[in-house]
Formats: sequence, structure tokens, C-alpha cells
Amino acid sequence: MAKVLEGPGMGLMKKWGITVPHYVVVTSVDELAKLGQANEWLKKSKLVVKAHEALGSRFKLGLVKVDLDLKGAEAAAKEMIGRQVGSITVSQVIVSEMIPHKEEYYCAVKSTREGTDILVANCGGIEVESNWDRVKRLAVEVGQQPSGDAIEKLAKDAGFTGPLLKKMADFAGKMFTCFDSEDAQYLEVNPVVLREQDSQLIALDAVTLLDGDAKFRHPDWNFAFAAEFGRAYSKHEMEVMAVDSKIKGSVKFIEIPGGDTAMLPAGGGASVYYSDAVVARGGKLANYAEYSGDPPDWAVEVLTDKVCSLPGIKNIIVGGAIANFTDVKKTFGGIINGFRKAKSEGKLKNVKIWVRRGGPREKEGLDAMRALKDEGFDINVFDRNTPLTDIVDKALQKQ
Amino acid sequence: MSILANKDTYVVIQGGVAGVNAARRMAEFCYLIKRSLNVLAFVYPPDAGKTHEIPYGSGLVAVPIYKTVAEATKNHSQINTSLVYIGADRALKGGMEALDDSHIKVVSMITEGVPEKDAKILAHHATKLGKVFNGPSSIGIVSAGSCRLGVIGGAFDNLVLSKLYREGSFGVITKSGGLSNEIIWICSQFADGITTAIGIGGDTYPGTDYVSYLEMFENDPQTKAVVIVGEMGGDLEERAAEWYGAKKRRVKLMAVVSGFCQESLPKGMKFGHAGAKEGLKGEGSARAKSDALKKSGAIVPATFGALGPAIKEAYQEMLKSGQVKEPVEPLVLPKLPKTIEEAIKADEVMVAPLIRTTISDDRGDEPCYDGYPASELINKGYEIPHVVGLLWDKRLISKQEAEIIKRIMMLSADHGPCVSGALGTIIAACAGIGLSQSVAAGLIMIGPRFGGAVTDAGRFFKYAVDNKMSVDDFLAYMKKNHGPVPGIGHRVKSLRNPDKRVKELVGHVKSLNIKTPCLDFALEVEKITSVKKDNLILNVDGTMAAVLVDIGFPVDSLNGFFILSRTIGLIGHWVDQKRQDSRLIRLFDYLVNYAAPKRREVPPLK
Repeated sequence: MAKVLEGPGMGLMKKWGITVPHYVVVTSVDELAKLGQANEWLKKSKLVVKAHEALGSRFKLGLVKVDLDLKGAEAAAKEMIGRQVGSITVSQVIVSEMIPHKEEYYCAVKSTREGTDILVANCGGIEVESNWDRVKRLAVEVGQQPSGDAIEKLAKDAGFTGPLLKKMADFAGKMFTCFDSEDAQYLEVNPVVLREQDSQLIALDAVTLLDGDAKFRHPDWNFAFAAEFGRAYSKHEMEVMAVDSKIKGSVKFIEIPGGDTAMLPAGGGASVYYSDAVVARGGKLANYAEYSGDPPDWAVEVLTDKVCSLPGIKNIIVGGAIANFTDVKKTFGGIINGFRKAKSEGKLKNVKIWVRRGGPREKEGLDAMRALKDEGFDINVFDRNTPLTDIVDKALQKQ
Repeated sequence: MSILANKDTYVVIQGGVAGVNAARRMAEFCYLIKRSLNVLAFVYPPDAGKTHEIPYGSGLVAVPIYKTVAEATKNHSQINTSLVYIGADRALKGGMEALDDSHIKVVSMITEGVPEKDAKILAHHATKLGKVFNGPSSIGIVSAGSCRLGVIGGAFDNLVLSKLYREGSFGVITKSGGLSNEIIWICSQFADGITTAIGIGGDTYPGTDYVSYLEMFENDPQTKAVVIVGEMGGDLEERAAEWYGAKKRRVKLMAVVSGFCQESLPKGMKFGHAGAKEGLKGEGSARAKSDALKKSGAIVPATFGALGPAIKEAYQEMLKSGQVKEPVEPLVLPKLPKTIEEAIKADEVMVAPLIRTTISDDRGDEPCYDGYPASELINKGYEIPHVVGLLWDKRLISKQEAEIIKRIMMLSADHGPCVSGALGTIIAACAGIGLSQSVAAGLIMIGPRFGGAVTDAGRFFKYAVDNKMSVDDFLAYMKKNHGPVPGIGHRVKSLRNPDKRVKELVGHVKSLNIKTPCLDFALEVEKITSVKKDNLILNVDGTMAAVLVDIGFPVDSLNGFFILSRTIGLIGHWVDQKRQDSRLIRLFDYLVNYAAPKRREVPPLK
């Protein structure tokens, strides 16, 4: 899943006929001022300014300002852009028109195993959370389109009546089309509001999760995906992602500040068991990582370099199950090169390395790791006869 | 018994290189269990009509490549299974093609990064047709002793270590490829091994889930217990728990779930598998799954490491109750033939070398000339003539000698377009012939009359010097036994019109204060011959020859100096003609003396 920020998310909705408020995404106050001269609505409407970053609880952080005129919006933008929040620097703000409204509703579309669910409620905003029973669901089978009647029935079940019923059904239909056409995995508009001046339904806020794997058939996805865990990706994380996108197989890396146990395991499945073992032993993870699918040795070397660069680490867990086709000698070659480089740069002082692995050319790979002892590494190497996560037990017991 | 894949499973592989690698691994398994290769066809349009040669034992099996699945199944009616190794952007089309073929009952997709929507369409379509769609991102399926689909099980040694050559009692279902192998190994060490192991792939909506396979295992009497390796995200583990808890099941269910670490990690973090993610509202957590499985009556060890002992305990119970018997291991298992390289490395064979070399070795990270690494020669100031010395005469020549060779090469690099060699190259170049052939056309001219006299000149001068002959004796000897003296005489140059190159070379060598017996002797010969006829002078070939013999080069290498130097010129002529885009040339009639008989009548054939 790949999260998309509000601006591009609303862009996609607009593309499929959903009415969204006027909005602009700007990186500087000057840009906003210039746009203000060119766009009537920026001068006439009341405005909302929000930090356009993958940040949770923006309200609490003071990164949402409402009911502003253009001058006020410029002041808010000035205040927000460049502000440091944790590891994120706010580099963009989204400025949109405020839509005067009385009623708020809810509409979402999500992927399920059987197909797609369309969700509608005749309440919105925070009210939905506490009234989840008012959310009505229409299940659409894989490969099918919802019929007009079915959607109208959904709106009716949710309590919409009169002219609003048709409008809500139309809105939900467009949400489905957008979802289906854009390879989305989750779309949520909360609230959907009824604009007072023309009684149109408007999508006031959008949560958009797209399927990153489908990017190849969406040449117009010209936006970057946002990190989904409430902060932006770090420099090292982005470097590993750049490598990942280039290679056969994969390398993954996420930093977890404050940890002291670094992870360099193989396999999407085993890596999580290794992380679990660290947590279960009371250790503190310094990162999540994995390499798999027989990646080239240079890619594993880049990953190793990032792992060795984590601050304050005491142990590195080079774990892995018995590989099917990942060449242990080759991938370990990348790790060994990374270790040597790190050592020559003065890293890995007082860091213990723990290795467990099996698979094609396991003997050669493990022997090469063992030989690092002679180069002054504090390294402990185990083969398939030691159970998967025992190295974590050994590493954390010794501390 | 087993599920999904057995002795009657025959396979078409859709895809290119990755599919061929899988076929090799499958052939290793077939060889281990002594069945013929179960891959009957490939589908890969760019190579349709060709074959892939798959090693089987010590031989090769040719497996045909087709354009479509329909063609493959038409030609091989036993095919009932397809493995899809096609890229993510074309996987939907390839998967549908396989599902729509009436011969095919099981489609297993190995491709990773398939869009979720496409995977759902494939799964849905398979369900409608009553077929199995396994994957995407599946490592494969293996039934011990009968069938391997994909690379699951790893290298040959691992197949043996994990006892995949015969059936055990445990079924395995995992999302992770690496862990499937780990569990297979654990089952073989702590119990009697597996019946069938299936990788369902780590995507959010795999085509077939635990429950579909649990049903199959439940109906397979050989399978006594099923181990599932789950992870956070989705609801497949909960559904498995629901299935297990719904009624009394024949098979024992054992499970581990990963993702407890999520509790102390940032929410929304992405792990290696696309599906390994808690829902937006925390649904699908490892704890919820683990609890659901425990509640259903499944055995859920606290950690992955505790799984081995738990499997052992379950197996011991089965033994005690007589549900299973200790397996009998075969006495002899086929050994995978080693490649010749592996066998040599293991000191198992001796090979009589085909050729022997004493000059160079390129097996390391750079070429060594007579033992000296090329880069080190460069860095220590050695030059091309030294490389010539090493490769032609296996010795490091001195600075002085190198200088002489350099001068010889510079003097003989080219003699204009009219000489035989250059003309040959030019004619070829004008006929549109490529560089190496055109240069070869020029080099072919080098022989007794053109440029090829260096070796002979050197040989005879050396003979005279070695035998301490006088010039008169030498000339008499030559006249009697060989004819004109090689290295003496020039078509154009003469005493009055001396060859400047000779003068230059002789001058330089004479200034060096080294012993030059051959050169001295050659100059003495010239004194006599040039009196007889003024163009019988020591020519450049003879001079080179005498000097090279004097600095110790073997006689047989001497023509090489001319060939080497002149190649520089011949390449120049080819490039020159190419640059000018020269047209095809032919001789003018007026340059030919037509001395053939006049036109006449052909007599009747007798």
C-alpha cells in the first residue's frame, strides 16, 4: 500500500468527477502570493492552510489553520513552511477554500478479499467513529460494477432521502469508479459536505491509499508516495528504496530511533520473526531490514552500510532461514564488503555480529563470515543446526 | 499421498530466465526421486520454436518452447499445471491464459509485485472455474517423494538433508518462501518430514488461503498434522482458526504467527511482505491471530524457535498411538553429478590438459605476462616492447633493448599504399570487407618476397657468426645451398640512394656500446655484395634481423616484429579507406597484359 498526500489524492478524485474544494499546494509564501493574484477564489473565499506532509495529529501540532483570508493564509504558510517536527521539515502547505456547510456525511471504498466494499453514512467527521453502526455497506464482487439501483439502495439504507439520496448515490458511484480505475486500496472522504450555495456534495478531506505495484499502468501518478507511519522517510531509507526499485529481488530498510539492536536478516517472512524475537527478549530494535529474492551483492552491501551507520548499536543480527534460491555466498559477500567498509570508517566499535543462515552455497558463505574473526570483527557464526532465532537469544543474553 | 502436486503432475512454465532456473531445480528433484522431468513445455513467445536444454543427471533434456499455453497443452496433453514466472505487468494476462486452458487445473504464480486488483481477478476466475490459483509471490509447492513445483526446497543438498525424497506426515503452509524451507527442514529433523509444503505468497489477497489447503490436507490420510506459518495483516489466520475450531478435525493444526514486534514499532510500518500489515484500525494483529488460533485448539508455540520441539512432541505422540511408523530411509540415494569444475575442486577427477602454456595467465583479476601482473608492469614504467619481450621470449628486456624494439617498430609500421600488404588491405577495404579480414588480407602477403625475410636473414647471419665463417665462405655457402642472401638487396634503394631507415637503425645500435656480431657481419656482407651490384645493400629486414639476433631474440620470432609493426599500418589503411567511404575498385584493362589465347570455338563435348 502506498499512501498519497491530500493534494494528489484530491487530484485523483477530481479526475473522476468528484467535486473537491479549490486548493493549491505551495512550497513558499511567494508562490501563494502569486497564485493569489491569478485565482479569484483565493481572494474571495475563507481559506484553510494545512501542512502537506505525512504527519499525524496536525491539528494538535498547530499545523492546521482555518477561517483565514489570503493575508492570513500567507502568514500561516510562512509560519508552517520550514518548521521542524521530529525528523520532518514541513516543505509544503496545502491551501484550500473553506466550504460553508451544515451537514456532514461519510463515504469510503475499500478492497476486500471478495471484491470491493462501498461504505456510506449519513453522519460524518468524528461522529462516524462513535456511530459505526450507521455506516452501511455495499459489497461489489471482483470484476463487477455496482448497479445504480444497488447504490441508491445503499444510500437509502444509510438514511438518505429526497434529492440528497440521488446525490449521495452519484457521489458513491464516482468514488467507486475512482477507486477501481486508479488501482486504489482504500479511499475515504470524511466528511462529505453539502455546500450551502449550490447544494452540491463536496469531498472535504481525502485519505487515499494506492497500490504501488500498479504504478506501471498509471503514467499520470507523478507524485511521490508518502511514508505511512507518521514521519517522512530518512535519507538512508530513501537511498535503500532507490536501490530496491532498481534490482531483481529486494532490499528494505526502516530506521527506528533509539534502538540498540540492528537487524540485517534475509527474507520477508523470517525478518519479522527476528524482529519479534528481539522484542520478546526485551531488546530495542534500531531498525527493520530485509533482503530477499537473490538480490545482487552490491545492493546488500548498500543495505549493510546503512545498518552499520545506525547510531548506538550493540548487536547486528545477520539472520536468515534456509534459502531456496538466494545465493548465500554471494549475498554474504555484499555484507562482508559492507562490514569491512564500515570498520575502515571507524564504525562497528564494540558491536557484536551474530550470523545464522542456510541455503545455496551456505558452507562457503558461512566460512567467509567466520573468517572475519581473523580481521578483528566480533562475530559469531551459526549454521542451520542452530534454530532460527537462537542468535537473538544469545546476543541479548550476553549483554 | 500428498495434495495438489503428485506423480501425475506435469507442468508448463510460462516465462523466461527465472522459469528456466526453476526447471533446473525441478529436474534435480525429479532426478533425486527417479522420475522423468515433469516440465514438458515452456511458453515464452520471443523464443517460440526453440528448446531449453535442462540438465537432468549427467544428461540434458530438451524442453520445447511454445508461443501460447494452448499450443503447449495441445502438444503435451498430460500437462495439468502451470507455473507463471511472467513479469508483474503481464502476469494477469498470462495467469488468465493458463486458467482458461481446459487441461490446466492448478496455476501457481511466482511473480512478485502483481497489482492487488489483478491477483483478485485471477483468484476469482479460478474459483469460478473450480481450479486452484496459488500465489502470486509463491515460492512454489513440493510434495515429498513425488513432485516439486518451483524452487521451493532449495539446492540439491538441502533436498536430501530435508528428506524430501520420501513422504513424511506433516503438511506445511506458509506465506514466506524462506520459512517454508525452514519448516520443511524442521519437520525432517524433529519428525518424519513433510507430505506437501505450499508457499501461498505474502501478498494481501493470495489466490488460495490456508483454509483451501487445510481442507485438502484433511482429506489426505497421509497428512497427520499441518504447520502454518502466519504473519500479521489480513484475516487468513483467523479464518484458519475458524475452520479448525468449527468441528473435530482429523489433522492436528500447529501454527506460529509473526508480527508481535509491531506492538512496539511505529504504526503503519511496512515489512517485507505486502500483506504483512495491520489494518488501519489495528485489525489482523499478530496477537489477535495467535489468540484466535489458540482458542480454536491449535498448538501455538510462543516463538518460532519453540516450533521444532512442539513438532517433535506431536510426532512422538503419533508414534506412540501407532498413527505413524518410523520411516525407513533408503540405503542409497542418487547423487547429483558434479560439474567438471566442482569435481576438480573436490579433488575427485584428474583431467589431462588439452593445451599447455608457459607465457600468460588470465585467471586472476588481471592478466599476468610470464608471471608479472600487467598493472604492476605499467606502474613500474615498463612499456609495450617489454610485453613483447615477455610474451615472445619470456624475459624482461633492458631499457636499451626496449628502445631498439620501439625504433624497429616505428620504422616498419608502414611503407605506403603500394606495397603488397597495404594494397591487399586497401582492395579489401574498398570491397566493404571488415577490419579484421582486411588486415588479414594484407598480412597474408607477408612471406618470402614481402616483409617475411627477417627470420631467414637472422637465421643465416647467425649461422655464419656461430660458425665463424668468412664473408666469402658465407656467400659461397649461400650460393651453393640457398640462393640469394635474405636481407640483402632492395628494389628501389641502392648505394647511391641509401635506405635512411637502415642508416638510422645502425647508427643508433652502434652508439650503444653493445656487442653486435651479427650486424657487423651483415655490414661486411653488404660491402662485398654492393660492389657486385649497387642495389645489393643490407635492407631493413636484414638490419632488423641482425640487430634482433644480437639482442638475443630467437630466430623464429623475428618475422613477428615485422608483422606486429606492419599491422599498425594495415589498420591505418583500412580506417583511412573507411573514413573516405571508398568505392569498390578493379584493375583497368590497360594494366593487364592479356596473353591468353584469342577467342575460339568450343569443340563438341566428347
